[in-house]
Amino acid sequence: MNMNEDKQWQSLLSHSATAFTGDAVPPYGFMASTLARLKEKKNQQEQLEKIGIRAFLISIGALVIVAAITMDLHFQNRSDLEPGVRSLIQVENVQLS
Amino acid sequence: MEQPIDIADCLQRWKKGNEDAAEELIRHLYPVISKIVHVHLPRRDHEEDLVQEILMKTFSRIHQYKGDAPLSHWVSRLALTTCLDRLRAQKIRPEIRWADLSPEDQDVFDASWLGGSSPDASQAIQARDLVDKILSTLSPADRSLILMIDLEGQSMEEISNTTGWGVSKIKMRLFRIRTRLRKTIQNLNERI
Repeated sequence: MNMNEDKQWQSLLSHSATAFTGDAVPPYGFMASTLARLKEKKNQQEQLEKIGIRAFLISIGALVIVAAITMDLHFQNRSDLEPGVRSLIQVENVQLS
Repeated sequence: MEQPIDIADCLQRWKKGNEDAAEELIRHLYPVISKIVHVHLPRRDHEEDLVQEILMKTFSRIHQYKGDAPLSHWVSRLALTTCLDRLRAQKIRPEIRWADLSPEDQDVFDASWLGGSSPDASQAIQARDLVDKILSTLSPADRSLILMIDLEGQSMEEISNTTGWGVSKIKMRLFRIRTRLRKTIQNLNERI
């Protein structure tokens, strides 16, 4: 019984064997489209890298500007005292370092 | 017949951005991938898309190729894994009955019982459809395994290289698959 079913399965496979054969040669246009996709992917990657570097440089620049403004405000505030406080300093003759 | 190419040289040139090298590699790998996709994909309508997807995967992961085995083996493994992933997304039928077969499938099934002369192209396609229906009762991995053994005539060692399974695991799976196939064919013979 088993032998018969195995033979039948093998016979079915041998009948269908030619329909299982893949193509040996890429179809026309296939190469061009695949290469175009590869090229596009590479370009996209390069673009992304450029965008990433630009974004990094811009953020560094922004950080430097913000730090400079913060430092500037900080030093301005140190000498910019309220008039009452200034007169108190003068009266007490406190040294401002 | 395709001329043999220097894979290492092609890979080197491809990594430097040479598109001619990519084309040579595609020409070399296409038949390998096409054969695997054709055998292991039951629905053939998106076959070329899948071949392209595997080629894209190959080129994007080429840096992972160590060169300790032939490139075609490495690509075969990638192709088979991609096909199995695709097959997993499709539903496995619990079993197939005589009533599930079209009249053409039933004719092919009866003709297979008789054996006989070599079929023409349309009969081969019809036979393949029937084989696909019978195989749809198996898991994707089992389906691929039985085709590698019975259709492609691969050895246990070759399958072990492609799938990464041990030989004893392959033998055990094969035993289970054959039992299941016999049961399916027996049911069809009894018109169940």
